[in-house]
Amino acid sequence: MALLSRVADRLYWAARYMERAEDTARIIRAYHDLVVDFPGDVVLRWEPLIAISGNVVSVDTDPDDYSGELMVLQFLIADRQNSGSIASCVAATRENLRTTREVIPREAWQTVNGLSHYTGSNAATAVRRQTRDRFLARVIDDSRRLDGVVDSTMTRANPYRLFRLGRLMERADMTTRVLGVRAAALLQTNVPGDNGRSSDPLSDEVQWMGVLRSLSALQMYQRATRGPIDGEAVVRFLLYYASFPRSVQCCLDEIRSIVLTLPSPHDVLVALDTAEHVLAEARPIASDGHELDDAMDRVQLAITGLDRAIHDRWVAAG
Amino acid sequence: MDELVGDDGTARPASAALLALIDSLGTSTLVERQQVAELDILTMGITFTVYSDGQNIDRAWPFDIIPRVIPGAEWDRTSAGLAQRLRALNLFIDDLYNDQRVIADGVFPADLLEHSANFRPQCRGIRPKHGVWAHISGTDLVRDDDGVMYVLEDNLRVPSGVSYVLENRAVAKRAFGELFSRQQIRPVDGYTDELKRLLISLAPDGVVDPQLAVLTPGIYNSAYFEHSFLAQRMGAELVEGADLVVGDDDCVYMRTITGLERVHVIYRRIDDLFLDPEVFLPESMLGVPGLMRAWKAGNVGMANAPGAGVADDKVVYAWVPDLVRYYLGEEPLIPNVPTYRTMYDDERRYVLDNIGDLVIKPANESGGYGIIIGNRATRDELRAAAEAIEADPRNWVAQPILSLSTVPTLVPGDDGSPAVEPRHVDLRPFVLTGETSYVTPGGLTRVALPKGSLVVNSSQGGGSKDTWVVDGIFEPTPAQQQFETLQHQSQLGGI
Repeated sequence: MALLSRVADRLYWAARYMERAEDTARIIRAYHDLVVDFPGDVVLRWEPLIAISGNVVSVDTDPDDYSGELMVLQFLIADRQNSGSIASCVAATRENLRTTREVIPREAWQTVNGLSHYTGSNAATAVRRQTRDRFLARVIDDSRRLDGVVDSTMTRANPYRLFRLGRLMERADMTTRVLGVRAAALLQTNVPGDNGRSSDPLSDEVQWMGVLRSLSALQMYQRATRGPIDGEAVVRFLLYYASFPRSVQCCLDEIRSIVLTLPSPHDVLVALDTAEHVLAEARPIASDGHELDDAMDRVQLAITGLDRAIHDRWVAAG
Repeated sequence: MDELVGDDGTARPASAALLALIDSLGTSTLVERQQVAELDILTMGITFTVYSDGQNIDRAWPFDIIPRVIPGAEWDRTSAGLAQRLRALNLFIDDLYNDQRVIADGVFPADLLEHSANFRPQCRGIRPKHGVWAHISGTDLVRDDDGVMYVLEDNLRVPSGVSYVLENRAVAKRAFGELFSRQQIRPVDGYTDELKRLLISLAPDGVVDPQLAVLTPGIYNSAYFEHSFLAQRMGAELVEGADLVVGDDDCVYMRTITGLERVHVIYRRIDDLFLDPEVFLPESMLGVPGLMRAWKAGNVGMANAPGAGVADDKVVYAWVPDLVRYYLGEEPLIPNVPTYRTMYDDERRYVLDNIGDLVIKPANESGGYGIIIGNRATRDELRAAAEAIEADPRNWVAQPILSLSTVPTLVPGDDGSPAVEPRHVDLRPFVLTGETSYVTPGGLTRVALPKGSLVVNSSQGGGSKDTWVVDGIFEPTPAQQQFETLQHQSQLGGI
């Protein structure tokens, strides 16, 4: 079954955008849980979440919005100027699949099309707490449904592989970004002069639980790890625990197994080896915001290199 | 006249079951079903693209749930007439690009061909497979007050709408499921299989399992939905010009992740002039350099053949009945609308004298653009039309104003609340011509939604309906009746 290079590109990006929308929704939901769990006299600010967009963005502040919640969520959920917002990602998924309908199952298209109509008309109001959870749940559920449809009804051929590849690349990237958010939070909440080190063990544990939740990893972490929740163990789990499907290592392993089935993968395998090496060397200290941030930047750069290799090999060629 | 309701106000036989059901449902249930249908269209992503406010907008396809009904026996005659017409038109096109017997025999005027905007000299001497050039045609039919179905125009270039025939049916089946089990309504789903079979038959000799491709101008084209739909249904690749390349061997290839792969048949949905910048418009970004070379060498099949449009301008139209007689030795089974050719002095004089009672049409526009309806135009518009005719008589034709037939349609009534009122319709059946012919049972019924309007084009606010060719009316069996009663009760909350 032939796969046009242009179609390969669109499938890959449709998958990346869908995964990004889903993961952003998960992260927001978990962060919200964290915020409401926090004792009343501590204000957990929302700005660190901006780090998942990968940019340093300054957003307008509103005196009534004292924790930054509405403005940050407007940016992450509804802002069409932000190409990483949920609304933008879902619309981009739809546009990419609209131009590849001949290779994807009809139900897959209908799932995304339905979601796109929903997010198009509900994103603006989903910024508010009353409606937010339902909105985020719909995004996550439909994204899972899309994977279910693809998994159960799409022929295992190159179009399927490119779609999977997009999912896994974005998932690996988003896991590093969630850790980046944690690093940003560490840097922000810590006392100046404390060299970016965390001080309050209780709130520390709660925050690391939040990190695990935002990747739906809490339960699996607890089954895999004995003892209390601890930053070092969480980072190890999310980066290196190869049996957990959202760990960076697991994503890279699966990417490798797919790349090996695609035509002439040599250059991509080289980039993949580099990424694995960078990941293995990263081993950040979880409690040090600077170090965690730097390490995640390095892993993200390696993933970007892999993305470029995939693009050069299968999209730009042909 | 109305397609469903007779002059005495009672249902025509083929529509009796439908109208009885509509009566029993009442307007509010009808409105509910209409809303469900619209939601289906939205979630299935059935769209068309309109250019508006400087943007191409992907809009939900407009659909009215009350179908148009055609009795099977009438359709059989119409269908035979369409197949006949396309056989003659294809012989005509093939003749024009080769021996031009029709001109030598004095049936078709030579100067018409010289002035034709759609004749492609680059296609002279080519003999496509089966002698067929216009493989896919969308022929517009209208019914006048006299009850006769006329051919209004032949669309032989890149006619669109067939995807909506199939999608409208899918939606209508959900809206009026009970009638599909009770009546014999001819299925329309076979079209894409027939099209696939036809395209496969155009493959270069010796190719066993040809690679098919649908060539689209891209996502901003108004018919992009259809291009994608047909590719999906046929398992063909949907390609844009930039996806294709013609090699030094004059073969067509597509750029895939494994390198170049041969393409054997192209269903092109790009106009002739944009197909190949080496031969036609050099600035075209939509086409494929070398495509004509590959086609002429017989290395790729192409539907419709470049140049097929020569037979669908509105001036040639006036000769079609003569062409049917000339090539087939048969009388046309479907009549033309009487057409005045302003290039002839006497006919032009008649047109200018009676311009207020005629429809004036430019010869080479499609989509309903540039048409002037005499009794609705202002004095200035009529004067401008008369001047345009005098300036370029070859570019215009005129026809009597037909009063298109109507079909009951769910519309906002005079007081704004939903009502079922008659609205004017036309019909576009699709005809496939290859070794054999295939005509869609029914076709795309387009409906002008504003009261009294005759403009059915979806780009100008027209809607659409499913079209049912009904063969027999059956009383429901006792089991069916019981089932439907139960259904009805459960809807009322009884179960």
